[in-house]
Amino acid sequence: MAVLEDVTSPPAAGLRPRGASRREKWQRRLPLLPALVYTIVVTQVPFLVTLWYSFQSYFWNEPGGAHWTGVSNYKEVFTDPSFRSALVRSVTMTAIAVVVAMILGVLLALLLDKKFLGRGVVRTLIITPFLIMPAAASLIWSGPMLDPSFGLLNWLLEPFGVHHVAWLTTHAYGSVIVVMIWQWTPFMTLIILAGLQGQAADVLEAAKVDGANAWATFRELTLPHLRPYIELGILLGSIYLVTAFDQVKLMTNGGPGTSTTTLPFYLYQKVNFAFDIGGAAAAGVITVILTIIVASFALRMFARVFQFEEAR
Amino acid sequence: MAGVKYVGVSRVYAKGAAPAVDALDLEVKDGEFMVLVGPSGSGKTTALRMLAGLEPLDGGRIEIAGRDISDVQPKDRDIAMVFQNYALYPSKTVAENMGFALKMRRVPRDERDRRVREAARILDLDPALLDRKPKQLSGGQRQRVAMGRAIVREPKVFLMDEPLSNLDAKLRVQTRSQIAELQRRLGITTVYVTHDQVEAMTMGHRVAVLSGGKLQQCASPRELYDNPVNQFVAGFIGSPAMNLVSAPLADGGVRLAGTVLPLGAQVRAAAAREKLTELVIGIRPEHLHLHLVGEAAAAGGARADGAELAGEVLLVEELGADALLHVRLVGDAAVADGPAAAEAPVVGGTPVVARAEGRKPPAPGQRVAFRVQPDDVFAFHPQTGARLAG
Repeated sequence: MAVLEDVTSPPAAGLRPRGASRREKWQRRLPLLPALVYTIVVTQVPFLVTLWYSFQSYFWNEPGGAHWTGVSNYKEVFTDPSFRSALVRSVTMTAIAVVVAMILGVLLALLLDKKFLGRGVVRTLIITPFLIMPAAASLIWSGPMLDPSFGLLNWLLEPFGVHHVAWLTTHAYGSVIVVMIWQWTPFMTLIILAGLQGQAADVLEAAKVDGANAWATFRELTLPHLRPYIELGILLGSIYLVTAFDQVKLMTNGGPGTSTTTLPFYLYQKVNFAFDIGGAAAAGVITVILTIIVASFALRMFARVFQFEEAR
Repeated sequence: MAGVKYVGVSRVYAKGAAPAVDALDLEVKDGEFMVLVGPSGSGKTTALRMLAGLEPLDGGRIEIAGRDISDVQPKDRDIAMVFQNYALYPSKTVAENMGFALKMRRVPRDERDRRVREAARILDLDPALLDRKPKQLSGGQRQRVAMGRAIVREPKVFLMDEPLSNLDAKLRVQTRSQIAELQRRLGITTVYVTHDQVEAMTMGHRVAVLSGGKLQQCASPRELYDNPVNQFVAGFIGSPAMNLVSAPLADGGVRLAGTVLPLGAQVRAAAAREKLTELVIGIRPEHLHLHLVGEAAAAGGARADGAELAGEVLLVEELGADALLHVRLVGDAAVADGPAAAEAPVVGGTPVVARAEGRKPPAPGQRVAFRVQPDDVFAFHPQTGARLAG
């Protein structure tokens, strides 16, 4: 066996394909340029402007326009308890929503991976919440679903002694999370389903012969196999849900009080109600930096899933 | 340890389709190495998977050690299986792969480690590999791990589904003998599936030849080779394959290559009983004894003493110890032309393969003549393919 290990030597250095000429390089870059310019104009320019405003004192309702204040906006943001509580709320809501959606997603994917009559229809139905835009979903939930008098949920719970619960007032935090879970479970289901279908059938058969029952097979083999898919789903879900605005704005308007004020809603309030452009810009810059940190993890994860064989 | 018994076992995948396995009766004795061999779609893998419990039975029953296990879960059958692609658990190390079945049986960790190390020793598996993941192993090493996973179990029966098909030719030959030796040492009943008749012949105590879901013949390799029961087995077993030629019956034998090839009295009687006018004749390549080469052969082909087949060498395959001659036998028409046939190219004759000594084989284009012993000629029914008693 040792002989076999040693026969494969790495390809000699210097055998790399010759580099393309300068002209060829530009021929490759040129078609990409319009997209690149567009992306820079719509993302990087606004970011630079935001960065510039974050060092300015600029209130829409005060005369005199913007003037330089250094890092005082940042100081203010870091000492502002409502920024910190919005940040914590964003993180906890996102974490709860993503984790619960993932658990449900795994369960649904395991069910959908089995063959049964009408599987195609069920799969499509399960995916639908993800196809609805967040604003529409929020309206469906705040109206027909959770309305204290006419809501579907109260009607369903009435036989169990629940009467006229104003969910969006008494359980605002939970209600917003439920809508997020409802929308993101299908996404998790899809990713996990793809992972399940990538699992070799003979490995599962080998486990059967080896005496593993369904639970042991899931715990010992399927779950480790799904790990990169679960990580990917959680990261993508987190990126989207940490910036969720529609649900908060349309269902609870950040309330009652500040009980559902998330980071995006906090920024929105700072601009539209406090007219504090400089402060909002500083909070925005901090949010972007935090998001970039998360996103770079997500990108690495992407690379790992798609080159999973090589990465291990 | 235990024997295995298939009793009228059938498997039908789709309603109305031909059964993948059709009323299979087969008995594997305790400690025996049984090879199931056949071409693709012969039902050999299905038969094995039914024994493993991975495939339900549509008829009949399977017994292990005299106990009907047809409806028993795979895990309760006390079997171990080696899969074609090894089916190693990618997230587990080699040691965890090998010890998985023991873990599922709640064998304590120390005991598990001991048995995994023991199996690794038996298989000459470097202990340093035990902590690696399957992805980091070569094909040959993975094959060993798959074997190790099976022997750690100490099961009643080993099932192997083409375990060598993913190895390169040299390693396959080497591993072939190692598996056969290992089985002999452990003495565990083994059912081994392969499409490679050389593997079947070299490894099995007995070989079951399957075709179209039906058992054709189950016998020792020697018996299969010397006494095939039908045309399929005759053509499938042996490399290069037996020459099978249709030939019309003639007085005392069959007419082939312008001469009459004599047949035994029993064969002739059987042919007469079946009212046949034509037979399928089978001659193994090594039974075509090269007799004459060159001009003499061209003349000899027309000689009247009967037992010589003349032809022209088309191609010579040198194997070292011996050489394979691809020969086109002279047709009746060509012989009728008399001496002129020596120059004219042979057209439309029957192609056959003959095994000749490797040192000085005839060259392509040369005329040759072969002698055949009447005992070495197999005769088959042209429609049913059954061997005519001889």
